[in-house]
Amino acid sequence: MTTAFEKTRTICGYCGVGCTVDVLTRDNRIVGIQPAMDGPANEGALCVKGQFAYDYVHHPDRLRHPMVRNADGVLERATWKQALRKAAAGFLQSAERHGRHAVYGIASGRTPTEADYMMQRFMRAGFGTHFIDNCSRA
Amino acid sequence: MSNPLSDMELPDVAFCIGTNMTEAHPVAATRLKKALARGSKLIVADPRRIHLATLADLYLPLRVGTDVALLQGMAHVIVRDGLMNDHFVATRTQHLETYLEHIAQFTPEWAESICEVPAADIEKAARWYAEADQGAIYYTLGITEHICGVDNVQCLCNLALLTGQIGRPGTGLNPMRGQNNIQGAGDSGAIPDQYPGFQAVVEPDHQRKFSKAYGREMDATKGITKVTAMEEAGRDIFAMLIDGENSVVSDPNQQHTREAIESLEHLVVIDIFLSETAEMADVVFPATAWAETDGTFTNTERRIQRVRRAVTPAGEARPDWWIISRIAQHMGLRNFDFNHPREVFNEMCSLSTTYAGVDWDLAATGRYHWPVPYRGHPGTPRLHEESFPIGRGKFSLIEYRDPAETVDETYPIWLTTGRRLATYHTNTQTGRAGGMDYLAAEEALEVNPRDLEAWDLQDGETVWLSSRRGRIAIKVAGSKRSPMGTVFSSFSFSDTPINTLTGSGYDPVTHTAELKVCTVRIDKIAVADTVGG
Repeated sequence: MTTAFEKTRTICGYCGVGCTVDVLTRDNRIVGIQPAMDGPANEGALCVKGQFAYDYVHHPDRLRHPMVRNADGVLERATWKQALRKAAAGFLQSAERHGRHAVYGIASGRTPTEADYMMQRFMRAGFGTHFIDNCSRA
Repeated sequence: MSNPLSDMELPDVAFCIGTNMTEAHPVAATRLKKALARGSKLIVADPRRIHLATLADLYLPLRVGTDVALLQGMAHVIVRDGLMNDHFVATRTQHLETYLEHIAQFTPEWAESICEVPAADIEKAARWYAEADQGAIYYTLGITEHICGVDNVQCLCNLALLTGQIGRPGTGLNPMRGQNNIQGAGDSGAIPDQYPGFQAVVEPDHQRKFSKAYGREMDATKGITKVTAMEEAGRDIFAMLIDGENSVVSDPNQQHTREAIESLEHLVVIDIFLSETAEMADVVFPATAWAETDGTFTNTERRIQRVRRAVTPAGEARPDWWIISRIAQHMGLRNFDFNHPREVFNEMCSLSTTYAGVDWDLAATGRYHWPVPYRGHPGTPRLHEESFPIGRGKFSLIEYRDPAETVDETYPIWLTTGRRLATYHTNTQTGRAGGMDYLAAEEALEVNPRDLEAWDLQDGETVWLSSRRGRIAIKVAGSKRSPMGTVFSSFSFSDTPINTLTGSGYDPVTHTAELKVCTVRIDKIAVADTVGG
């Protein structure tokens, strides 16, 4: 017996047009994407990437756990606690050694706005600097 | 974009320059095609004979990097032939007189001598655009990714100001943003000179506001751009937090980027895959992907929209905002106790001027184009209807400059780069989607068939492609899209890392790299090279 399809209304993750789509899922996997006829940017249209290029979400290459570089220089699996501690300690150490202007943040044009906002907040509230940029220059 | 996407169906004359819209923004292109079906005229300026050029009523095949010459020539014709919108320039602009003096020298014949577009076609383009009831300009990175990117944009602004083709339906200056949320990244303040909502960091009022909100004193001076940070890595910059950005493949001058990142003491990368950049990190965090997370994107028409979680995250993946806030907490920072994207978005709205009138729930309607300056404001689908942010629009006096590199005996070929329909950015996503690899399994350098013959190359042959910054092996493919003497590749494939070659120069104002022009050489690969490995 197969479970029913579920539909989730969202926005395509590719170019800047921002097409409205319905993601079809079954058993917690994406099985299709439909353009929304009432999407303000696309009015029912969708391109080949938006409609079909979604397999990557479930790809075996996805990062599934934090990783930390070990004493031998190899990235290995770590717990969240270990990884967060090491990440935080490294920033504090560089700032202590070289000053707060030694730390830099690069945000993404593909993540949601909340990620970008948090990146600039991290740099500004954390170091009092504006050493933050995103990938729009490349 | 100054105008909403729905306006793309309205212009009588659409002027597209440096935008490969049918490949990079296909759905926007379908809206423009509706205008064309109605009988609108299309002018396309692009060095490559892209698909959009084949739809054009007038195609202007300019040499790479000479947009300023073309656009100044058009402005000259508009002034010379009395096609200016006298009412608009009188009521909405300033510095007209000095501009008119300045533009007098840029005849279409002068423009032709630089950009290689026939003067008669430059005149025709100017006339069509100026005389249109509704004339709209569309552009993409073909305008901005130059050492003169700001100059290019200002030349386009001059054209809109001269003709009054702005602030009305079906007109405007419309940059098409390349990535799903590159607009949101700027809006949210992830830039070195402005707080959220484009509030300048050098303004004491803004400094006070954010120092209070974030609970610590803020610098009153601008930060540095990513380009400068990469240059200063190992000298002044020693630690980096990179979220969802594969700099090693997407940035110009790959060897330089790699060395810059290697010279850091501490690199933390948040991503959905172990990208080429993440492989170099000291700590890597797994982020939730699209369809695994709730949040907002802002599109190219400044429309704020909600994205929603449809499946549970892979493994232990967490939202980017959560990971960053927890690193902050582990550094002992207070006030990072966020537990839902709603809290993050609403805080941003409360500090932003452009998002001040929306919140998480209103964003879910998808109805708001920023600026939404206060609660109850309907949003602003069309900018500059009554006035410009500075009041009257200012004409800019621009001089043509050659690209950072021009062809010579050693590097006799122009290289330009861009996107393809079936791949996205550095292909970390589309390269892992079934079927897409069938549409675009590998990169090939587009070379004019007559050049293939002249350079004694076989279609499909793998060659060395070199610039002053490096060398890659890449297949050549005959394509009439490429004009003679100019070759093209996308930057999507890490096994043909075209950004090893780019990076000849940067715009002095924005630090945007001149990814659209550099000079290269093609050499045959000697048999010994391939056999010996």
